[in-house]
Amino acid sequence: MTMVVPAVEPDDETLVARAAAGDDSAFEAIVQRYQERVFRLASRLTSDSEAPDVLQDTFLQVYRHLPSFRGDSQFGTWLYRIATNAALMHRRARARRPADSLDMYLPQFEADGRHAATPAELQVASCADEMLDRQVLAQKARDVIARLPDLYREAFVLRDLEELSTAQVAQALGIESSTVRQRVHRARLMLRGYLSELVGVKP
Amino acid sequence: MNPVACQSGVDLLMDFLDGVLPAEVNAALEAHVAGCERCAAFVASYQATPRIIRDATVSMLPPDVEASLRTFLRERTNAFKKP
Repeated sequence: MTMVVPAVEPDDETLVARAAAGDDSAFEAIVQRYQERVFRLASRLTSDSEAPDVLQDTFLQVYRHLPSFRGDSQFGTWLYRIATNAALMHRRARARRPADSLDMYLPQFEADGRHAATPAELQVASCADEMLDRQVLAQKARDVIARLPDLYREAFVLRDLEELSTAQVAQALGIESSTVRQRVHRARLMLRGYLSELVGVKP
Repeated sequence: MNPVACQSGVDLLMDFLDGVLPAEVNAALEAHVAGCERCAAFVASYQATPRIIRDATVSMLPPDVEASLRTFLRERTNAFKKP
């Protein structure tokens, strides 16, 4: 009887070391492992139509810069940094009107600091996915992410959509954790208010 | 510390959920939310927002985009050259 030994996937560290030393099959394995995540990130930071270009740019840069990757951060964090910058370059390259302000979606307060809205109004954003058509919500969500200021969008997408830790986002963006929290918080407030308005309630 | 008003509680919410507030501020905020129906509702929607946006923006890598990526890298690197 022959024993079937399950193949053990090499970890990132091993693959990166082999790829950096010129093993192209290791680079191919890295592409295979991360292509879905990079595409999803790119489409959230730009659009479905721009994401393929961002994906290509990202892995070409990874290939070129792998020999200089020093392992100060996790490979995944380093890759997210490259992909985020590539997405930003694409956004800057395209002619676009300045982002319109989402400040109107911030929560409103009375003079004494209490919420101006009722509990039911304050909670309604939680039900946006139940109250809206799935395809409509998908399009609206992409539209509103695109309207976020660049700094908020990057932090929010990495932290809340790709689910990196605050420390990983800080490392990927080269900023302090406290700055990550400020930007993600601001984005959440705006998006929460936007979802409220989508289902017909002022934030 | 002074009693938390809704507005100052909202300002602290991200730090609260990330677990980086000093213990006494954390406790004051928890006490406020426990006794404030509006803040409890706000916190629920604040926490739901990332999940809703995340679920609404999941996209899969299309096979033609994956094929284009390989062609692109084959032309510019030494990778993906095997038959």
